[in-house]
Amino acid sequence: MTGPGRIAYLLDPRFPGGTSSAVAEELRTIAPLCQPAVHAVSSRMFAGHDPAPPLAAAFEALGIESVWDADTVSADTVILHNPSFLKFESGFGRRVLCRHLIVVTHENFLRPGGEEAFDVTGCLDRIDRGTLALRKSLAPISAHNRATVAAWGGRFGLPPGWDVLQEDWFNICDLPMIAPTDTPRDRRGRHSRPGFEKFPPPGDLGLCFPSHAEANVILGADLLIAEGAPAHWQVYPFRGLELARYFGMIDFMVYFTAPTWQESFGRVLAEGIAAGKVVISDKATAAGFGGGVIGARPEEVDGIIRAFVDDPARFARHVRAAQAALAAFSADAFRARFAGLFDPRTGAAA
Amino acid sequence: MILIEAGERTDKAFDAKLLVATQLAARGHRVVLDDRTRPEKVERYQKYEVAAFLADLGGVTLRRVILIGAESVAQDTMMALRGLRLGADVAVSVVGRFADRQSAIAARAKVAYAIGREPDLVDLATLQGPPLVANAISPLAAAPTPVPPERLTQVFIVLPQEALDDPQTLPVLSAMDNLPDYRLNVILPGKGKEQVKASRHAGLTVFGYSELSPAAFARLADIAAFFGDSVPGERMAAFALDLMRSGRVAIDCTASGGFLAGGAPVLRGPEEIAALANYVQHTVLVNRREIGRQAQKSPWLATHSVEALEQALGLEATVTAADAPEGTAASRSVFLPTNGVGLGHARRCTLIAEAMGPGADPAFAAFPSCVPLILDRGFDCLPLVQKSPDHVEDHANDLLSYLRLRRVLRSGDRLIFDGGFVFDSIHRVILEHGLDATWIRRGLWQAGQTLATALDREHTFARVIVPGEAFAELNSDRSTGTHVHAVGPIVQRLPQPDGAERAARRAALGQMLGREVGELVVTMLGGGVAADRTAQMQALATQLDLRPGCLHLIVV
Repeated sequence: MTGPGRIAYLLDPRFPGGTSSAVAEELRTIAPLCQPAVHAVSSRMFAGHDPAPPLAAAFEALGIESVWDADTVSADTVILHNPSFLKFESGFGRRVLCRHLIVVTHENFLRPGGEEAFDVTGCLDRIDRGTLALRKSLAPISAHNRATVAAWGGRFGLPPGWDVLQEDWFNICDLPMIAPTDTPRDRRGRHSRPGFEKFPPPGDLGLCFPSHAEANVILGADLLIAEGAPAHWQVYPFRGLELARYFGMIDFMVYFTAPTWQESFGRVLAEGIAAGKVVISDKATAAGFGGGVIGARPEEVDGIIRAFVDDPARFARHVRAAQAALAAFSADAFRARFAGLFDPRTGAAA
Repeated sequence: MILIEAGERTDKAFDAKLLVATQLAARGHRVVLDDRTRPEKVERYQKYEVAAFLADLGGVTLRRVILIGAESVAQDTMMALRGLRLGADVAVSVVGRFADRQSAIAARAKVAYAIGREPDLVDLATLQGPPLVANAISPLAAAPTPVPPERLTQVFIVLPQEALDDPQTLPVLSAMDNLPDYRLNVILPGKGKEQVKASRHAGLTVFGYSELSPAAFARLADIAAFFGDSVPGERMAAFALDLMRSGRVAIDCTASGGFLAGGAPVLRGPEEIAALANYVQHTVLVNRREIGRQAQKSPWLATHSVEALEQALGLEATVTAADAPEGTAASRSVFLPTNGVGLGHARRCTLIAEAMGPGADPAFAAFPSCVPLILDRGFDCLPLVQKSPDHVEDHANDLLSYLRLRRVLRSGDRLIFDGGFVFDSIHRVILEHGLDATWIRRGLWQAGQTLATALDREHTFARVIVPGEAFAELNSDRSTGTHVHAVGPIVQRLPQPDGAERAARRAALGQMLGREVGELVVTMLGGGVAADRTAQMQALATQLDLRPGCLHLIVV
């Protein structure tokens, strides 16, 4: 096979947050190459939800008519995004016939500390039982995500016939780059979905967003609103503020999660970098962005911000370098990696 | 302190928490329930049960959190867990019956996100196998209850509300109630108890489902038969489990054979209530102890034991036998005079206590008006709280009395209650602690007075002492039996003052009141809620007022 051939996407398009945004970008990127078919799955996980806005917009822009819950999905290559949507299913619910099945592992297989993040064995088993393919691959989306896949495989054993793609199936971050401010102030913020896993313990959150900061803007703070946020926090519910307006209110993005959970890619951090902000996160999450995200502990945040505020030139240098590093996650880079999959000389596709 | 939480904030989940809290507390663990999780509407009996555990967590040092019903962990529960800001030294256990691997992973993850670290996970499906009650939230673990003293066999029948729709049910139960080989007790849900008490079968001993804790029911019962379509809910399942564990007999009379199907070591009994009397008489009573022994050996029961649950939770029981008292104190006699001002009751109780002789070391629990009198007589006294119109609920003071009494009294203690109406606190504490209880009940019943409520709890007492009154019409009593003992008036005999002293006292009174005092008549006809004696006192006052030199002292 010298080209990508027929490509079919298989996903539940109702995933909120980063997964849907990533897939939407991916479709926009590869559509000119292969005119993918999109098979939508109505899994129990998102019963009652609507398709995520970024995906719906991508479908419309690309003229893709997604096919819901087809009995059979047949293509040369089937790309299944985020197998965790099968975690509440008793079976796969369909047959997949293809040369190569690529399962993009948007969610880490293990949480920090080593606990299984979801029933990976069950999900892969359901896929296995409904798939006839020459090759089945897991496609991690980041170095950390890959590490959890490998650690999971080491503990539970990768099912027979499965392999792991060598290169990351990264989230495309083709975001418009905003120049950094030349007068940074201690204006902090974070944005995320409102889940408990997205927030550090109250004490750490207090260190990240102290009363002495000029501004503390938290978007997606449904949880904090419910538990009663302190007066020095400006809290907005999920999608309660336009992203552009939110970014206009801050100079530093301080993003920590529950210690028992970690971003698999961290698209939200890329958004902060692209918006011209200095982004601070825990060391493990920051590692996925080279030096683009500053790895720290919550008690170190104040000092880091103070140093940048005192040195605007350093602030600008850091942001520009971080933005340049985002090129590794550009649409061009993904297109090249995608095309490489089907290159008979270098590709790994079956 | 151990905080018991549940995945969801529902009435059912709260009751399940209460079951766990009660069971663990009986094992010597110090347990609390978050008072913010109390449902808006709590049944009266449940209030007594829960009062010992509810706490404002702001003032509590937690060392462990046990989250039951973790199959479904709601947002508000996660919010509450997050708000606790638990230190790293607080162990957190997530307990549930997980249908599959994903359910267990999700439960653990949700709690991990809320508390910021990994909890332990106890899968009851693995530990115990299928539950006796579908969708049960509490772990349903079997705990032993103390070996009761030799007593007439106590048979309990657990019925569904619909059983009362059959016109034959109550007549059949009444017939059983008159069999000499055992004493019958009936447990009914909802309004069933009121329905029976309003019928001509009001003499039956009836409890509501939640009137007592499952452990208290198990302490009282020797044999229990369960009717209905299936296992009648978590409370009754817990009752059956404790019963089996204690070597007593549980009979599965449910239409579905739910206990047997679940694997429990029960007898399969008749589905018809009418057939139960013969079954109990000829099959169970003759082999009662051996049946209990065999049940205790059941491997199924071992997997459902409270020790197995404790081990899975990493809890170390501080008591090894359910009846082990705190400390080594010998059984005590505690007098509880009650009602209104209570001086008549209190005076009588102090007279009896003083007559008990050396070594008895009696103590008192009494309302504030009586406390000085009791202390004056040299007895220790636990103060109770008087009823007040300022309380939000009319039984608020009784809740406090219950808490204080249950803290002070221990299994085997003697409680001597002197009063007309047996409060919930007294009723519960006797049954829960297995107290040797005596009711000193001065008559004062008025003709035509309805006594059903007053006498309904007489069965709680091992004996009833009825002191006589000076007037014959005040000595009518409505209950009989070998446990009822009529005695003469209980009075204090004081030496008669001599003539000179009497003259001096008359003179002193006369000088104080500015009138001649030739004779003193004391009227004390208080009857509390049992009798209104205003008319008699007015008649006496009118007549005595006509007598010159007569000082009439009315004590109210």
